[in-house]
Amino acid sequence: MAKKKRVVYSNRPWEATGICSGCKLCELWCSLAKNGAFNPRRSRIRIVELGTGVDVPVTCQQCQDPACQAACRFEAIVYDEKLKIVVVDEEKCTGCRACVGACPYGIIAMDPATHKAIKCDLCNGEEPVCVSICPSNVLALVDDVEAGEINRRRFATLLASDDQIQRSMPGGEEPIQKKLEKRG
Amino acid sequence: MTKKKNCYAGKILRLDLTTGSFTTESFGPKQTDLFVGGRGVASKVLYDEVPPEVKPFDPENRLIFSPGALHGTGAPSASRTTVTTRSPLTGMHGDGHAGATWGGELKRAGYDLLIIQGKAEKPVYLLIDDDKLELRDAGALWGNFTSKTHAKLCRELGDHELCTISIGPAGENLVRLAAVFHNGSDKGTSARCGLGAVMGSKNLKAIATRGTGDVGVADIPALKSAYQDYLDTIEVDPYCPPATKYGTCRFMMHRVKFGIHGAENWRYGEYDWHKLDPEVFRSDYQVKAGACVACPVRCRRDYRITSGPFAGTTAKVEWETIARSMTCGIKDPESVIAWSNICNQYGLDIEGTGDTVAFAMECFEKGIFTEKDTDGLDLRFGNVEAYLELTRKIALREGKLADILAEGTKRAAKKIGQGSEKFAIHVKGGEMTAGDPRGMPVRAVSYATSTRGGDHLRSNPYIEEIMTPEEALEWWGSEEAADISKGLKGKGRMLKFSEDLVTIGDILGLCKFAFYRSATFPYLYKKGVHIATRLYNACSGRNLTEQEMLQTGERTWNIEKAYNTRCGATRADDDIPERFFKEPLKGGGPSGGAVVERDKFDKILDEYYEARKFNPSSGLPTRAGLEGLGLHDIADDLEKRGKLGA
Repeated sequence: MAKKKRVVYSNRPWEATGICSGCKLCELWCSLAKNGAFNPRRSRIRIVELGTGVDVPVTCQQCQDPACQAACRFEAIVYDEKLKIVVVDEEKCTGCRACVGACPYGIIAMDPATHKAIKCDLCNGEEPVCVSICPSNVLALVDDVEAGEINRRRFATLLASDDQIQRSMPGGEEPIQKKLEKRG
Repeated sequence: MTKKKNCYAGKILRLDLTTGSFTTESFGPKQTDLFVGGRGVASKVLYDEVPPEVKPFDPENRLIFSPGALHGTGAPSASRTTVTTRSPLTGMHGDGHAGATWGGELKRAGYDLLIIQGKAEKPVYLLIDDDKLELRDAGALWGNFTSKTHAKLCRELGDHELCTISIGPAGENLVRLAAVFHNGSDKGTSARCGLGAVMGSKNLKAIATRGTGDVGVADIPALKSAYQDYLDTIEVDPYCPPATKYGTCRFMMHRVKFGIHGAENWRYGEYDWHKLDPEVFRSDYQVKAGACVACPVRCRRDYRITSGPFAGTTAKVEWETIARSMTCGIKDPESVIAWSNICNQYGLDIEGTGDTVAFAMECFEKGIFTEKDTDGLDLRFGNVEAYLELTRKIALREGKLADILAEGTKRAAKKIGQGSEKFAIHVKGGEMTAGDPRGMPVRAVSYATSTRGGDHLRSNPYIEEIMTPEEALEWWGSEEAADISKGLKGKGRMLKFSEDLVTIGDILGLCKFAFYRSATFPYLYKKGVHIATRLYNACSGRNLTEQEMLQTGERTWNIEKAYNTRCGATRADDDIPERFFKEPLKGGGPSGGAVVERDKFDKILDEYYEARKFNPSSGLPTRAGLEGLGLHDIADDLEKRGKLGA
């Protein structure tokens, strides 16, 4: 039986090139893989722009007890036990959007052409296109244990102060020295 | 929704602002057969629709938006959109290119080309929401900064993914240095040639666009294989790693190597650059390695200042921002970032504005005007405060001096007089960019022949630096062409090739840094011609040869040349400022004391005209040259106007 996996943003902020560059190649090539044409709005991974220089890729975390499934009244969303992924049955989907509002990560979208719910299916468990196309190498297909490590690191980052992190980064010392110089 | 068969959307959208009416026309072989897309198609439309009787600020002038043929697909770096008009700065063909998402969105909304004509009675913005087309009141947006305009439109239309085009206060005030901005202040700028002023003259503040359609691909496996070939090439091409590491700031090391900074209004080759080291930008200010849409090279950079008087400022900075700051004598990174922010928010072209401010500073140094004329600004080279303040004033035309400078270097010098024309650094009215051409004759000629005024992105004369003598012999018939300072023979042919080459990028929407710069000539040809052609064929379903692709570039160039000819340009206009011929480069260093030698310049230009099939004495296009490219109608038109070369 397949191990449960998911695509995560595994950024390495201590390397400038280890942060999502916002190039959106993942969106473009995901839509090509799924529909045979380029259209970011039909992509199952989305880049959220939070401001100048802050781009974050988000996609389905393949929850074991998915909120989207619970919200669907048409049994159109099922957890595939064999592949360990959450899938949408397009035949059954009525396009009611209940799942869109229910997903805590907001990763379910409506396909502008078919008006059905679309979400990441890990390219059916094969090597996902987004992971292989990413030039910054910040997308990874990980199992539970690896996801735990990444989440732990992210949680710790939230707890640490900005100053503390900046000081620990290579090249981070200098701005602080400069700050001190200016303070006299 | 029918499935899209290729990378074209198939329609042209035309808006007449005077009547407020929209019309659509089909976009197909009539446009693409000869001109493919992007800059090619737009240049033809400009030629056909804007005769020389129509002045740049006339309502009948056109503002043409044309995404590159590959824009909207996932081809590497296919992100460029061309904006074309008759330039208020040069009075000739004018265009600007930007890497952003707006052009792709226009294609997803269903249009390959957007042509805007006429003039609205009061400020408006255009909404393109798939099939829904609307002109809306822009009273609440008028006067706003570019970033604010973008944010307000996103809020008004309730969409964070909205793509926009906008102008800042500079465009509204018809500043001839105003630019057109994509998605707010820092995402991409069609900067040159005063495009923003033309948009302002039409009372068009912004274009909000949402498109939910597909952009098709004719042959997916062929696209994948060409994409992979591109990745394999940039992996071995030594050009790319520094671009990814430092962004375009990396060009500092190139300028240092040759000593061609052109600092303090194009006088000093060597200059105190150490605080502007790419490593300083990277370690102290860089936000991350950013990218334009679809680009694996990632040389876009946003920089953030965390302390000091400019703390909290974030702005996109390119190499040119740094280079133009040095032209004004600025030596520290924080001033550069802060200045970039001002230009981007007020909606100015960094290159034109930098040169114009530098020109004013030299006037001040020479005593042509005093603090009385500058409203108390101490316009010494390197005075950060004056440099930021004058830039802001130019955008707002605040005060008499700024109002004159807002007309661009050429017009300002004419108005100011007193010998200032001698150090007004422009070609055909367009301010000069990049490095100093002294000591590098072919680069000097490349500024002169550029169809949109002094510009380094119109050609790639840098290939002389990367070619071996054997390659030069094979390609340009002389080993001399690989010699940077002394060689002559073959350079004209090389320049012609490099112009055709980079034009392909603007036609397809590929980035010049990702495709048209390389560490060796074989890599350059492979990326710029071989892979570019394969990408286009895969996406469009056509079957162009590499030769035909290069010819498309040549055809586009000839249309622009013919346009400028029709506006009155001759060989005398293909020239660079006197300073480069007469004043040796100061400051010492590798190019210290160099000048551009007039006879060398003329010889290269002669060979260039011969390669282009232009008449060598008048510089005008000839019937033989135009008809060889299938441009019979253009030849007829020039003949009718008495502008055809013998």
